Amino acid sequence: MLSVDRRWLYLILFVNIVIFLLAPLRMPASISPPVQKFYDEIEKLQPGDLVMISSNWSASTLAENQPQLEAVITHLMRKQARFTIISIEAQSRDISYRLAERITKEKGYQYGEQWAHFGFVPNLAVAIKGMVTDLPNTIKQDVRGIEVTKLPVVQGVKSLSDYKMIIDVTPSGTVPVWISYSPKNVKILYCPTSVMAAEAYTYLDSGQIKGMITGAKGAQEYEQLLGIKGLGAPFANTISFSHLLIIFFILLGNFAMLMNRLQARREA
Amino acid sequence: MGMITNLMAQQTIWRLPEESRALFATLIVAGAFVLILGLIPVLQTLPPRGRRAIIVTVTFLAGLFFAAEFFLPVDWTAIFPKDDPKRNFLTPAIQPAQNVLQIIGALALGLGTFGLVRLHLRNAVQKRPQWGYSIVLLVSFVVMATLSILNTLAEKEIVERGPVLERAFSILFDYTLVQLDAAMFSLIAFYIFSAAYRAFRIRSVEASILMFTAMLVMIGVVPLGAQISPALPTIANWVLAQLNAPAQRAIEFGVGIGGLAMAIRLWLSLERGVT
Repeated sequence: MLSVDRRWLYLILFVNIVIFLLAPLRMPASISPPVQKFYDEIEKLQPGDLVMISSNWSASTLAENQPQLEAVITHLMRKQARFTIISIEAQSRDISYRLAERITKEKGYQYGEQWAHFGFVPNLAVAIKGMVTDLPNTIKQDVRGIEVTKLPVVQGVKSLSDYKMIIDVTPSGTVPVWISYSPKNVKILYCPTSVMAAEAYTYLDSGQIKGMITGAKGAQEYEQLLGIKGLGAPFANTISFSHLLIIFFILLGNFAMLMNRLQARREA
Repeated sequence: MGMITNLMAQQTIWRLPEESRALFATLIVAGAFVLILGLIPVLQTLPPRGRRAIIVTVTFLAGLFFAAEFFLPVDWTAIFPKDDPKRNFLTPAIQPAQNVLQIIGALALGLGTFGLVRLHLRNAVQKRPQWGYSIVLLVSFVVMATLSILNTLAEKEIVERGPVLERAFSILFDYTLVQLDAAMFSLIAFYIFSAAYRAFRIRSVEASILMFTAMLVMIGVVPLGAQISPALPTIANWVLAQLNAPAQRAIEFGVGIGGLAMAIRLWLSLERGVT
């Protein structure tokens, strides 16, 4: 049993993913405290409040970060908050811009008036320090080539401290950088991939992060809180059964090892 | 000294006058260009010790600037009464420093691109083993770069976004690059599955505790856990917040101290391979 061809294992996982991705089975999630805190913080926003979204994900973590970003933008639009997006990942500049453009168009949110995309900025720490000192001179232009000073959405904004909130949607360890250099009056919310979430619990505990949406399953919880149907639910259901399958095979592997040992003892 | 103090007090030392900014900028760029062109042959004639001295000095000064800006007291008004209490005298220079770093970053990107293209062009021209892949890379590079540049120009309304450009960019970016990238990363799931089956073994008490906890969290954090028992998500969250967080904090302290030591070594050019 231990020497099974790994291609069989791949096939089993593949079939499992396809079945549960396509099956109309939808299980409700229990809302975890970090997601509830995230939701409550955005609920506190007033119409017109300004939020910075740091979108640093590329296609490789699309399955986790896209449902997060979609849910967050939907909630911000529902609260009539203004938001700007910035990317320190070159591919994310296009992905997040196209995604935000699609969602905002559906809801009639005006580019330039209610939201804007600042494009790709290399070197996060330096960019944050620059934005804290002088945001318009650091960013200079948005993705459409419009000078930041001429964008109504950030009219009168001089620095990052004029924002109410920063939301970091990322598969990388960027949140400590935001915590280190951001103004203390700006709240930080975090949307990591599942694998990065464990590290962030220290910041949640200390209050440096006000809330967290963990991967696709966090996105599912958020969609549930918002009452919308998004990508998070099917992805989280698929992950559920994949986890179950992995646990089953870990137990099976250990059982096989135990049987081998028993057999070896008997033969000895 | 008095003039410098005055300039610092007025926060103008790092800022050019508005009316002559374009002229100054042109002169600085032209001067830097001439200086670099002149410096390269001079630097190449230097012995290794001389090169090392230059690298060490530049690294130290650059590090000193950022450290000093961060650590110097913010309220500088006791020394310079006209100064802004929200920043010290180095703070206004952060913006130009950021521009310099961005330019260096862009240069590094250009250098990397140049190296990649040169290597694969050589592979293709000399028909080295697997030169066909180099052709694929070069064609993909040129096509994707061209369409991306056109798309960016269209976003800035410098060129018109026609249906051909829209469709071609969408096919290459949304339906090819994004999908390939996502597919590549998804392969990890299959390796994890295979590795978990083959390698996750109960060989000791510690391994048993680890496996039991991992299973509890794996099933507790997903929707299926809540369906099995409402207690499972609570237990999983407790493990993450009460057991995982202190352990992570301890690790981060260690990493932080290590990072600080490494940063000081780099700053003082004590690391190997500086030259």
